[in-house]
Amino acid sequence: MLGAAGRRILGFGLGKRAPASATAWRGYHERVVDHYDNPRNVGSFDKNDPSVGTGLVGAPACGDVMKLQIKVDDTTGKIVDACFKTFGCGSAIASSSVATEWVKGKQMEEVLSIKNTDIAKHLSLPPVKLHCSMLAEDAIKAAVKDYEAKKVKSTGKTEAVQTDKVANA
Amino acid sequence: MLRSSVGELFYKKTAKLGLRFFATGLILGNSHFHSLSPSDFFLCNRAYSVLVRDFVLCGGSQHGLQESKALDRSFYSSSTCSGELPKCWNCGGTAPTSIPFLACESCGSVQPRNLSIDFFQIFGLERSHDIKDDNLEGKYKDWQKKLHPDLVHSKSEKEKMFAAEQSALVIDAYQTLRKPLLRAIYLLKLGGKHVDEEKTITDPEMLAEMLEMREAVDEAHDSLTLKKIKAEVEEKFETYSRSFSQAFTSGDFDDAIASIERMRYYDRAIEEIRKKL
Repeated sequence: MLGAAGRRILGFGLGKRAPASATAWRGYHERVVDHYDNPRNVGSFDKNDPSVGTGLVGAPACGDVMKLQIKVDDTTGKIVDACFKTFGCGSAIASSSVATEWVKGKQMEEVLSIKNTDIAKHLSLPPVKLHCSMLAEDAIKAAVKDYEAKKVKSTGKTEAVQTDKVANA
Repeated sequence: MLRSSVGELFYKKTAKLGLRFFATGLILGNSHFHSLSPSDFFLCNRAYSVLVRDFVLCGGSQHGLQESKALDRSFYSSSTCSGELPKCWNCGGTAPTSIPFLACESCGSVQPRNLSIDFFQIFGLERSHDIKDDNLEGKYKDWQKKLHPDLVHSKSEKEKMFAAEQSALVIDAYQTLRKPLLRAIYLLKLGGKHVDEEKTITDPEMLAEMLEMREAVDEAHDSLTLKKIKAEVEEKFETYSRSFSQAFTSGDFDDAIASIERMRYYDRAIEEIRKKL
């Protein structure tokens, strides 16, 4: 009796749950649970910022919405930061979280070759959740596309900016 | 002869399944069987239930779910090949024409499941999105009073199986028809259009709206704000539900599918709100 109470008190400090049994019981791979419990890169950039590309995609079959944003270094074309906001199942959230981690530090052309199958494999997604990883792949592509489109629009202003930089240097 | 007509019925069923060689053997006689002899076939429990079902269902499978919206009431109890109404396997009573033949009116025996009866027929409704509730729950309970597996626990294994199937069917029908979104998806499915394809959409305006909506739900913590958002989203849901009805009636399936997509997003938001309340 005392032992049980004692265990309960001690058990409190030992963490939320035993990882292995929880994942087996829930049926989600531990990486998916990890991304769900410890989300990385959740947030929002200013979509009007010219160095930000926003990818907004949806899966109508399950009512999911996924927003993935990248912050690009204009001179090198390297993605310096990324964030996401996803409303959907655990697999969708984890897929977009992984996507933001993988695009950081890469060139824009490079991230276009990230395949949904890589994400799915990393998270051990079951077949029924494969489309979640597809959504993440589409989100990356949409973000890059958005950034490029913005860049094209603002090409006229680039020269003026360059001149300013030189003057201030 | 019973055997030859059964054979004929079985041919129709198995032909559909692509097992012509097997069916031909059955019709031509014992000596042509490849895998099963007739006695094996009749002794096998599962096969026997298939046989019974085919006996009742021949003719129903020909008409399937592609029939026009004008309901042919005689399909409640699908006729046999010869055009007769099926009979109860227990007492031989004839099936009624005005209601689905799920249980026999005379002896109460639960009948085998008929795949050609759709959910609307079970509840005596037209195939339409605007069903105005129409005492769905009452009818559902009435059916379960006749079909529920608890009522047949002392009956034969065969009838227990029928009761399990029919009861599950009625539950499916009720759950599908009472929810406007599921009803809409089912209606399109009956017409051969499937909406659950896993595609990605990129419509910026719509997605921005949905994102904003979900964010609002996420950030709301008091029940007053949540109820307010819920009311707004429910109104939008209603709008697109009506839009679906119109699109469906006028045969504009693209518009119908688009309406369903929006309805699903609103439905998800409402679900999240309910969880928080």
